[in-house]
Amino acid sequence: MSGLLRYQFINYLRTYRYVPPFSIFIIFLVVNYTFTPNPILDSYSFSSIVLFFIMGWFTITIFHSEDEDQKIITLLHIKNRKEYNLVLFMFCVLTGLCLSCLSVTYPILIDAFGLKPKPLHIMMGFLSHFSLSFLAIALSAIFTRDIVKNKQNTWWGVLSTLIISLAITTLKSVILQIKGLIWLLPPVYLSLEMMDSGDENLSMPGLFYWQFTWIFMYSILVIGIFFLFTKRK
Amino acid sequence: MKTIVDIKNITKQYKGKTILEDISFSLFAHQVVALVGKNGSGKSTLLKIIGGLVNPDSGTIYKHIHPFTIGYVPEVTPSTIMFTPEEYLFHMGCIRGMVKNQLQPRIDYLLDIFNLQGSRKTRISDFSKGMKQKVMIMQALLEETNLLILDEPLSGLDPKAQSNLEDTLLLLKDKGLSIILSCHETKLLENIADKIFFINNHQVNQNNLLLNTTQHRNRLTFEISIQESFEDLHPYFEIVQTSQLNQRVNVVKVIIKLEDTDKILLELLHKNASIKQLQPINHAKEDFYNQF
Repeated sequence: MSGLLRYQFINYLRTYRYVPPFSIFIIFLVVNYTFTPNPILDSYSFSSIVLFFIMGWFTITIFHSEDEDQKIITLLHIKNRKEYNLVLFMFCVLTGLCLSCLSVTYPILIDAFGLKPKPLHIMMGFLSHFSLSFLAIALSAIFTRDIVKNKQNTWWGVLSTLIISLAITTLKSVILQIKGLIWLLPPVYLSLEMMDSGDENLSMPGLFYWQFTWIFMYSILVIGIFFLFTKRK
Repeated sequence: MKTIVDIKNITKQYKGKTILEDISFSLFAHQVVALVGKNGSGKSTLLKIIGGLVNPDSGTIYKHIHPFTIGYVPEVTPSTIMFTPEEYLFHMGCIRGMVKNQLQPRIDYLLDIFNLQGSRKTRISDFSKGMKQKVMIMQALLEETNLLILDEPLSGLDPKAQSNLEDTLLLLKDKGLSIILSCHETKLLENIADKIFFINNHQVNQNNLLLNTTQHRNRLTFEISIQESFEDLHPYFEIVQTSQLNQRVNVVKVIIKLEDTDKILLELLHKNASIKQLQPINHAKEDFYNQF
């Protein structure tokens, strides 16, 4: 598995497909923190939404970095499609982890906040970024070539799914009228609600742990559906 | 001869259409088997079933060697590979689970026999189609394989690259590798294949027409002066066509027996005839290629 991960990493680096999403994210971070001071949780919340979309872009390029014909050969060598896809998910999650750490530490390093961030702010900031990255990876993977054959549908599918996930936040009151529906929809709104609690909060309510856990659980369930689909195909 | 694989009663349908129906044959050690047939006749599907890439709807593949290793070379060569052959083979070997001290000598050996030592540091994306195809075969041979499967190995290659790859395949044949391949190319079938299976109407039949290369007759075309008589040679050939090239020269096409060929050529040269073409006739071969 480590051999495949190393191969995918080097192959992805050599395709240069990471350049557009990575550049855009870095430019966003620099521009977002140009003017100081900034609120801590609100800024983190905004950058986590941007990372949510950027990770959709990263996921598609990582899953499609290998030539389609080469993918057949690689699968013949690894002899296990599940392991192959698992490595791609690991690669995406590692990318999300690195970008989450960067998003949290960059404003601290340049002293872009009005208040000095406490460990609680840093933890919430990291969880917000990483949980939304994980969710974006899971949702975007559903539109990769293993499941969606048409490349155009891949990009439209990912973009519309991520936008709808975000739009649910504003439509929550309407959605709540249909019992149980909210549990089926991507829980981006949970992260945004938690990050809206204000910088003055000195402790993290127990509910927040459950809400972050649900975002991860939801993502794992979607990844499970991905594996189910690929097994059928 | 040792049987390595028995293919028994294989049937495969695709989108409700029968591709292969109740197919049975055996593959033997150190033999090169060619699968021929029209486009869409099921050659690639059968190779994928043998390679374990596609499951048959019914039937069984019995492998008589355990563990049985298969090297597979797909029909389409990847258009972009961002590695040098050395890096690429190293990565594929690692993905297979091979250890470095086992892998490096094998890569050196493969680069050597495939004549790619000089290109080991060049990116595969800069290679010609023929060189890319060689790398594809090399990745299939990273481990000692019991059976090498090649799906249309010469497809899309120019004549020079085809000839080069044919030499490589002959080398692998000489090394005793068991190979099954699908192809259309005459030279490959005649020079390399020990056995030819023809897929037609979802069935596989062994075809020995092409392997029987005994020639009985030749087709001869020559130019000869109109004044020159060659009636004395008439008992030895059958005139197919006589046409006038200009006011002084006739073009004559005849069919001659194999054993008379040298004698007639000599006689015609004595009569100042100009030999334009001498071609062996193999009706069996012509019939074979007319099938697809």
